[in-house]
Amino acid sequence: MNVPIRMLGIATSIIWVFLIAFIVLAAYSAKDLSVDFGEPEYTVTPNGELDLALPLYVDNRGYYSLKNFYLSTVFTDAEGAEISRSETIVPFIPHGENITILHNISIDPISLLEKDEQYLFNDNDLNVSFTAGLNFAELLPAEISANFTFPWGAPFYNFAVGEPAFEAVDLTHIRASAPMTFENHAMFDLAANIRVELYDSEDSLLSESQTALYVPQYSAYEGDIEFSVSLTASFLSTVESGHFDVYFDMGVAQYGPLVIPYG
Amino acid sequence: MAKQQKESKNLVKDVSFRIAKATVKAILIYLLYFLLVPMLTPLLEVVPSVAESIEAFIVIYIVLMILGDLTAKTVFEHFFSTARALFFMGYLLLSMGDGIFRTSYESYSLTVNLTLFYTIAATLSLLGLARTILQAINFMHEKAEADSKLQA
Repeated sequence: MNVPIRMLGIATSIIWVFLIAFIVLAAYSAKDLSVDFGEPEYTVTPNGELDLALPLYVDNRGYYSLKNFYLSTVFTDAEGAEISRSETIVPFIPHGENITILHNISIDPISLLEKDEQYLFNDNDLNVSFTAGLNFAELLPAEISANFTFPWGAPFYNFAVGEPAFEAVDLTHIRASAPMTFENHAMFDLAANIRVELYDSEDSLLSESQTALYVPQYSAYEGDIEFSVSLTASFLSTVESGHFDVYFDMGVAQYGPLVIPYG
Repeated sequence: MAKQQKESKNLVKDVSFRIAKATVKAILIYLLYFLLVPMLTPLLEVVPSVAESIEAFIVIYIVLMILGDLTAKTVFEHFFSTARALFFMGYLLLSMGDGIFRTSYESYSLTVNLTLFYTIAATLSLLGLARTILQAINFMHEKAEADSKLQA
C-alpha cells in the first residue's frame, strides 16, 4: 500500500507545482500588461450624431495571450435613461504585442434634446458605466468596471436676449435691435439658425428676424438681432414690454419657442 | 545497560534528525514563499488584505508541518497531516467562496473568475486529505501486523 500512497503524493505534488507556477506567472504577467487611454476625438456625422473615438493602447508584455478582450460603455442621463451603448471586441491579443483599439461611441444629441431641452442651455454630467473584460492567460476570465461622469457642454449656455432698442427709420417703420449672447460649451462647432419673434404687451406679433450663425466649440457669441417694425397708433403704448419667442434650428434638431420677456 | 544507552542514543539521534528535517522543510517553504511573494506584488497592491491572509496561512501550515515531522512514525504524525489537509481545504473554501474573486479600488471594481483554478485546487486538496487518511490506515495496519507477529 505504501507505493500507491507515495505515487499519489508525488502526482498531486507535481500538479500543485504546475498550478502554483501558472498562477504566480499569471499574476506576474498582469504587471507587464498596460492599458492606456488616448485623447478622444469628436466628429459630427451628416445625420447629426456625435461620434466619439476613444483610442485604447494595449501593451501585452506578459507571458500569456489575451482572449476575448471587450470594452463596453453605457451613457445614461441623470434619471438613468440610456443615451448610448457601445461595445468593442478584440478576439485575440498575442503576448509581446502592442495594439491600438479604437472604441467608437455614438451619442445622438437629438434624442438627448428630446428628453430634456435643458441639455441645450445648461451644462450637465452624463453618467458613464464602463466595463472591460478579457480572458487572461486563456483560462482566467477577468472583468474591470467603473462608473464615472462625462461632462456635457450646452451649445447655448447662458442664452440671453437683452432689452430691445428702438430707432425710427422713416415715418412708417421703426428698427428694433436686441443683443443676443450665449456660450457654446459643446464639444462640437455649432451651426444653427435662430428665428426670433418680437411680441408686444398685447401679444401681437410685431416682427420677426432670422440669424444664421456659426460658433466654434468652447467660444462665446455676441451679436444683435434686428427687427423692422411697422409703426401703428398703439405702438408706443404696447411696445414698452412684451416678449421674444426664440426658435432654434440646428439642422438635425429644432427647439422652440423659448419665451424671453422684456421691459 | 549498554543496550539501554544505545537505545537512548538512537532516540536522541532520531529526535535530532526529525528536528533538523522539520527545520529544513520549514526554511525551504518559507524561502519559496519569500521568493514568490514579490511576483504577486501587482495583486497584493490591489488587495492588501490578501498578503496578511497568505502570511497567516503559511505560518499555520508550517507549524502543522513541523508538528507532523516531529511526531513522525507515530499515529500523531497522521493526525497532524490530516489536520493540515483539512486546514488547507477550509482555507481554500473560506478564501475563495464561490470561486469569483471581487475587489474594489477607488471607483473601479475588479472581478476575476477563478472557478477553474478553484476546482483543480479543491480536487487536489481532497486527494491530499484522502492520502493522509490512507497513510493513517496503512500505519495502523502495519502496526497491527507487527503486533500480531510479536504475539505469534
